[in-house]
Amino acid sequence: MSVTGLLGFFRRSFFHLESRILQAIGFNSRAVVPALSVQGPGIFPQPHRNEETEEHSFLDNMFWMAAPKKRRTIEVNRCRRRNPHKLIEIKTNIEPCPECGNLKQKHVLCGFCYEKVRRETAIIRGQIQAQEGKPLNNPAVETVVLYEGEKPAATDAGKRIVERKRQRPSWFTQY
Amino acid sequence: MWYLAKMIRGMTIEQAIAQLEFNDKKGAAIIKEVLLEAQEMAVKSHNVEYKSNLYVAESFSGKGQYLKRIRIHGRGMFGIMDKVYCHYFVKLVEGVPPTEKPRTGFDQAKEYVQQLRNRTIIHSL
Repeated sequence: MSVTGLLGFFRRSFFHLESRILQAIGFNSRAVVPALSVQGPGIFPQPHRNEETEEHSFLDNMFWMAAPKKRRTIEVNRCRRRNPHKLIEIKTNIEPCPECGNLKQKHVLCGFCYEKVRRETAIIRGQIQAQEGKPLNNPAVETVVLYEGEKPAATDAGKRIVERKRQRPSWFTQY
Repeated sequence: MWYLAKMIRGMTIEQAIAQLEFNDKKGAAIIKEVLLEAQEMAVKSHNVEYKSNLYVAESFSGKGQYLKRIRIHGRGMFGIMDKVYCHYFVKLVEGVPPTEKPRTGFDQAKEYVQQLRNRTIIHSL
């Protein structure tokens, strides 16, 4: 599989990148290896020791991180994952819609009824768009929607009329 | 998926479908489809009289095939990302779901005392 080849490439490129970054900082690999293989005079190691302590503190800052001590057993993992607070709570606010009979939540509109109204209004909006022609062309008057066999009433004198070629739906009251 | 399967274990099918309809997880829609199909199959070919007289006897999910992909991090680091698939199994049984009597503290105490009374010396006369 090419995945292992790619993984090897990425591993090698990461190590190369790491050594380059450390070189750029000034942390040369030759200073990590203890150079005192020969016993020298006591005066000499002074500057060397300072360098070493700096490197040690640098190491402390970089590589002292929290890590798990032991593998978490599957029993412990199960206890955590199946704790009652992580399980899904059963909802008690579901009831049937009195209009259509589909299920709905108590504080939310019925999805089926909303979809029904949305479709009708989409058609009406399409007709209004066709009437207006171009965008931002709406007249400064009210709009009235009239269905089949309906005449505009006296109160609808100066209003814009949108005709729909179907029977008036029961939920769209006229008054 | 396991949490959803655990939730509907032991529920009537109507209750299970209601709960799944208003759950926001991706698996809820899938499980609901499965339940509806199972209900239809039960009525058509398994001689079930009333489609709401069913309850969820068994419901569990199993691990499916995992596809491995590379997820690239910063600094040339990479992680192996798993594209996870799972299987879902459900068994519907006709009838009323069995109610499990909750074990009270008194019941547990009675059982403990009975265990103590059952102790005996083995290989004795």
